[in-house]
Amino acid sequence: MEDSAKSHDNLQSAGGGGVVDKQFLTAPVKSAVDKFQLLPEFLKVRGLVKQHLESFNYFIRTEIKKIVRANNVVKSRYDPNVYIRYTDVWVGRPSEVVDGVTDTLTPQKCRLGDKTYAAPIFVNIEYCNGSDSRTMMKKEVVIGRMPIMLRSLSCVLHGKDEDELAKLGECPLDPGGYFVVKGNEKVILIQEQLSKNRIIIDSDKKGCVQASVMSSTAMTKSKTIIRMEKEKIYLILNAFTSKVPIMVVLKAMGMETDQEVVQMLGRDPQYASLLLPSIEDCATFGVYTQHQALDFLEKKRKKSMSRFGKDEGALGVLRDIFIPNIPVRENNFHLKCVYVVVMVRRMMDAILNEDAMDDKDYVGNKRLELSGQLLALLFEDLFKSMNDTIKMAVDKILSKASRSSRFDISQHILKDNITNGLERSLSTGNWDVSRFKMHRKGITQIVTRLSFIGAFGSMTKISPQFEKSRKVSGPRALQPSQWGMLCPCDTPEGEACGLVKNLALMTHVTTDEEEGPIISLCYCLGVEDLSLLSGEELHSPDSFLVILNGLILGKHRRPQLFANGMRKLRRAGKVGDFVSIYVHEKQRCVYIASDGGRVCRPLVIADKGVSRIKHHHMKELKDGVRNFDSFLRDGLLEYLDVNEENNALIALYEGEATSETTHIEIEPFTILGACAGLIPYPHHNQSPRNTYQCAMGKQAMGNIAHNQLTRMDTLIYLLVYPQRPLLTTRTIELVGYDKLGAGQNATVAVMSYSGYDIEDAIVMNKSSLDRGFGRCIVMKKMSAVYQKYDHVSDQIVSPRKSQHDPEKIQILDNDGLASPGEIIRHQDIYLQKDCPVDPKTKSHPSQAQYRTSRQTYKGAEGEPAVVDRVALCSDKKQNLIVKFMIRHTRRPEVGDKFSSRHGQKGVCGTIIQQEDFPFSERGICPDLIMNPHGFPSRMTVGKMIELLGSKAGVSCGKFHYGSAFGEPSGHADKVEDISETLVKHGFCYNGKDFLYSGITGTPLQAYIFMGPIYYQKLKHMVLDKMHARGMGPRQLITRQPTEGRSRNGGLRVGEMERDCLIAYGTSNLIYERLMISSDPFEVQVCRKCGLLGYINHQTKSRMCSACKNGDNISAMKLPYACKLLFQELQSMNIVPRLQLDDSG
Amino acid sequence: MEGASYQRFPKVKIRELKDDYAKFELRETDASMANALRRVMIAEVPTIAIDLVEIEVNSSVLNDEFIAHRLGLIPLTSERAMSMRFSRDCDACDGDGQCEFCSVEFHLRAKCIGDQTLDVTSKDLYSSDHTVVPVDFSDSGAGYENPEDQRGITIVKLRKGQELRLRAIARKGIGKDHAKWSPAATVTFMYEPEIHINEEMMETLSLEEKTSVVESSPTKVFALNPQTHQVEVVDPEAYTYDDEVLKKVEAMGKPGLIEVYAKEDSFIFTVESTGAVKASQLVINAIEVLKQKLDAVRLLEDTVEADDQFGELGAHMRGG
Repeated sequence: MEDSAKSHDNLQSAGGGGVVDKQFLTAPVKSAVDKFQLLPEFLKVRGLVKQHLESFNYFIRTEIKKIVRANNVVKSRYDPNVYIRYTDVWVGRPSEVVDGVTDTLTPQKCRLGDKTYAAPIFVNIEYCNGSDSRTMMKKEVVIGRMPIMLRSLSCVLHGKDEDELAKLGECPLDPGGYFVVKGNEKVILIQEQLSKNRIIIDSDKKGCVQASVMSSTAMTKSKTIIRMEKEKIYLILNAFTSKVPIMVVLKAMGMETDQEVVQMLGRDPQYASLLLPSIEDCATFGVYTQHQALDFLEKKRKKSMSRFGKDEGALGVLRDIFIPNIPVRENNFHLKCVYVVVMVRRMMDAILNEDAMDDKDYVGNKRLELSGQLLALLFEDLFKSMNDTIKMAVDKILSKASRSSRFDISQHILKDNITNGLERSLSTGNWDVSRFKMHRKGITQIVTRLSFIGAFGSMTKISPQFEKSRKVSGPRALQPSQWGMLCPCDTPEGEACGLVKNLALMTHVTTDEEEGPIISLCYCLGVEDLSLLSGEELHSPDSFLVILNGLILGKHRRPQLFANGMRKLRRAGKVGDFVSIYVHEKQRCVYIASDGGRVCRPLVIADKGVSRIKHHHMKELKDGVRNFDSFLRDGLLEYLDVNEENNALIALYEGEATSETTHIEIEPFTILGACAGLIPYPHHNQSPRNTYQCAMGKQAMGNIAHNQLTRMDTLIYLLVYPQRPLLTTRTIELVGYDKLGAGQNATVAVMSYSGYDIEDAIVMNKSSLDRGFGRCIVMKKMSAVYQKYDHVSDQIVSPRKSQHDPEKIQILDNDGLASPGEIIRHQDIYLQKDCPVDPKTKSHPSQAQYRTSRQTYKGAEGEPAVVDRVALCSDKKQNLIVKFMIRHTRRPEVGDKFSSRHGQKGVCGTIIQQEDFPFSERGICPDLIMNPHGFPSRMTVGKMIELLGSKAGVSCGKFHYGSAFGEPSGHADKVEDISETLVKHGFCYNGKDFLYSGITGTPLQAYIFMGPIYYQKLKHMVLDKMHARGMGPRQLITRQPTEGRSRNGGLRVGEMERDCLIAYGTSNLIYERLMISSDPFEVQVCRKCGLLGYINHQTKSRMCSACKNGDNISAMKLPYACKLLFQELQSMNIVPRLQLDDSG
Repeated sequence: MEGASYQRFPKVKIRELKDDYAKFELRETDASMANALRRVMIAEVPTIAIDLVEIEVNSSVLNDEFIAHRLGLIPLTSERAMSMRFSRDCDACDGDGQCEFCSVEFHLRAKCIGDQTLDVTSKDLYSSDHTVVPVDFSDSGAGYENPEDQRGITIVKLRKGQELRLRAIARKGIGKDHAKWSPAATVTFMYEPEIHINEEMMETLSLEEKTSVVESSPTKVFALNPQTHQVEVVDPEAYTYDDEVLKKVEAMGKPGLIEVYAKEDSFIFTVESTGAVKASQLVINAIEVLKQKLDAVRLLEDTVEADDQFGELGAHMRGG
């Protein structure tokens, strides 16, 4: 309190410009400008899933046109006059055609009706059917249907306000960014990759240093590696059968003299000496001229590389497959030579100095592939395939000499290929694009609708490039460059730990940007063109190379000036906001990046440590005169990507800025993502606890969405009385968790009680449960189809009253369907229909024979549920589908799982009457009791502060805040302030209360730490898990009990349990468990031959089939599995014989 | 059962009495007695609450169970409860709880016709028995300036076209079975604190020290007399046994300056009722129930049936 008062005084004296005293000058300036307001503005324009939307919009607006333009002509092989030319392409509004009528689709319609939310792709075509006919035009030809991302520009929800969204049945808080495919919500996960077209220096398994480039152009994708092996430098390229000496490659590209190479590499003799073995090597092969080199390479070339139609030999390989991102114009290989030499030089740098090695885990070397890019790949492939099929069909017709019907090429456009291809990939998640050698699985995921925050989690999830089984620590570790871009807390536990990441709150992922204007700007700013430079000049000590998206543009003598100039242009809006300029002092390069997939975030620009954002700017924002974009336009804010951050000195707070500071953070809590943002005071917790909560927050029950009661998901968990947390954070308000909460504020007493609270179990108050604490609704979907066959179909029939089990069908309506509102019990029939006995019958439906088919409800016994809704819809084949939502309201019971927001999960250990619960003299009685042993080892101090803050919150009637790192900026209440509030309302400052035992009425020995904590009920409930059986189903082949709860399986005495029993010597128990209770079987064994015989039931005699008599047969008991084993062995020519002894 | 008689004659002094609030002192008894009274008030004083709901039409946003649960929690005036029968041992009906001795029927019919949302509240419940009605809070003057605003406890909100029609049966029950039958919102007691200030030692303190002692207590227990500059106990019951003053005094190096004792035989009760029973009646009913229970114990003292009811305790009582 004193501190804040002092700083307040300081502020006043600063404003008044009073006498300057030393103490004031040295005192930290209170964050002069509250920049928090920028965050909601950012989220308004960018949104939490803006990266997905932006990427998809870019695909729909730009990329799709580029793809079609690049493949715009389909020409017949036989007659060049027969062709289709696509002149334009665009994606329409989401709609479907039913019975010839076009109807607009809404996402909710698609979810309920198991449809795909897709829009037609239109093209304008120009075509000609042969030399004798004229060119014709057709407009708005549909070539397929594109699934539409919700809330994108093409979506019907775009730009709609809350009322309109509500009318469309949509939740206004839903972020969008996913697709609806066959009624399922699918999100394309963000894919993490190493950046393309960049030189990466690392070492291979043997420790050889190598420079590699993953090239990716519109035409080809290839990987080029230059490796130093046994002091010699080789090129490794897929198009060559083995590694090739680099000098040969350079010679083949026209650098015939060794001097030229050495000159280009740099004057420094270190480089020349490293290159010497390679030069000598080249000489031993007798390769001196370009021609010889090409001949040499030709021998090593893999044949059958004729994908481009014509085979152009080794030179063609060097031009098109070897680092194809460097363009070769008119066989001028100069640029490529320079690039190779730069690669070699950087590799040598790494050999000379270990530090120059690139870090693959560095976020700046990574690119995130978003839905737009992934869909573009798929679409390109499907579009090309469609063109190929058109071509093939046309060629087939044209190749026939005589054609009967009139030929029209425009009739051959098939729209199903693209539609089905896109739909299939989205619904299976398999991206099989053979054209790009891409076979990836698990690209899409169903949006988790367990909780509202879980849906957000799906949208920000980044799926890794590596397979999860790799036991490496590097990629899993927290990278410093991740700061502010990727959430440091939100990662799963277990095998995917650290590999699967999540975006932070303010991260933006870039999309591709036009390079042309940037190149010309660079030249205008004094970049010396590479093609005009000699090799010697390239690495002259006074200049830096300028590299745009991996392409060397040239060099600049004053890199800092150049970079500043470029940045000024960016801030003025002359180049894109997301272009990054990065001066790499060590590599003596200026990197400019405008490619897509880089992560970046907004920062406040500071001039010599003084923030450009002033009070009046924020006031303008408040008044609505400004928005986030105008901050960008006016050069107050800018986006920095990970690389450019290296050139910036970013102060956390304005007060901490020094004269070197170039940027100031907007708010420190934005380094966390949406899931971690729910945790109050996360900066007081042990870090893994926050990670645990991130995973658990997604399993918490609560409100899913505003339209939760109209949704027909397979499983919905809802809380009956969800609450808004008493201790909130700014993130909670930003994402809307305060409107769709997933938990309740429980009064928690931290004490030991009853012994049923060991191992994190919690003791619950029965009266609280009676009043609705933790009460939840579980809704399950069941569906049934009325199948249509060729001539007959399943029939809706009225259930006959005179059936043998009338009580089971009493919830059925006249149509044979359970009616909403009816109570449904285990084994009740909820649907009864007539199925044709022979579906292939050709008789008239009224004459066909039918049999009754029923569907019974399998729920927990003694737990009646209610039919909530019955929905009818039709599927693609126009079959009638009936969906039932079965609702079950549950109150917490012993064994249900609960958790606070601090990774402290626990099951309900016991439920105790309120009168037995401890009470305070104010009459406060806790809702649940938590054991204090949960604290010391977990170190979740944040939970304690949450308790204090909530307690103060309820007593003073205002929500307290606990945003991460929020104390200095006022987004988190300090413990001192909270304590003061508590004292003001008559509580002890430390949150402890004087309690009386409810059992004896005497005071408890200690003061009890008690107050409200936000508790989440997790989806794991005993009712869904508990299982036991006596007699039950058995497996068919082994006759052993089945496995698993869903099959009502037995409980297995496993090998470890067996070992215990053996050690204990309880042989009869083992005998009983392993045979009597499992699969006993009586066999007839021949004492003579030891094989199994049989009983002939007709003659009532026992026979051994091997001995052909029944003389020596004995009966014995055996596990059936053992008998099966004998027979299986016999079938593979192994004879197991039983030797019988008299039992003593 | 021989030995000294522990019989005592507790005294009750009523401090404050309102319809739904009572504060009284209970003296000359011990904690077990006070706690028994508290426990009975919470869990064993019978009230009437809706227990069975038959829903005819429900097109509201809340589902049937949800509404049934909410209905159950509405407090009903239960003056009759003590004389009513539990439906499980009602002999006028065959235990299905449909007779006037053990049940009260309620009807609710609400439909929203206008454009404004309609709040369906406890006032829309029509009772078949005028003595058992939803508790009316409007006359308690609980902060509602305009009685028109106060429409009872909201059950559900209906929008245009939605309808709710149901029949509900209220029964007698006790809080032990379900919290809805608990007549007590808050029942709590505290030991009466006895605060001694060592005046002699206090005189040695400076004015500043005195104020710091006064301020060390989070609740207003002490005050500094502006005239005499003496520390006085103004409200001993505000003391929450937080020990803050004692710690302060200890820290000042003056242990024994202030001493607090809890009077072991004197309790201050605070009772807040849900409105089902008047707070005063709640206490009386609780004593009645307690007496009945004790009678039952006494009667069964040496019968074998005691084993059924009291388990091991029964054997104890028989001297086992």
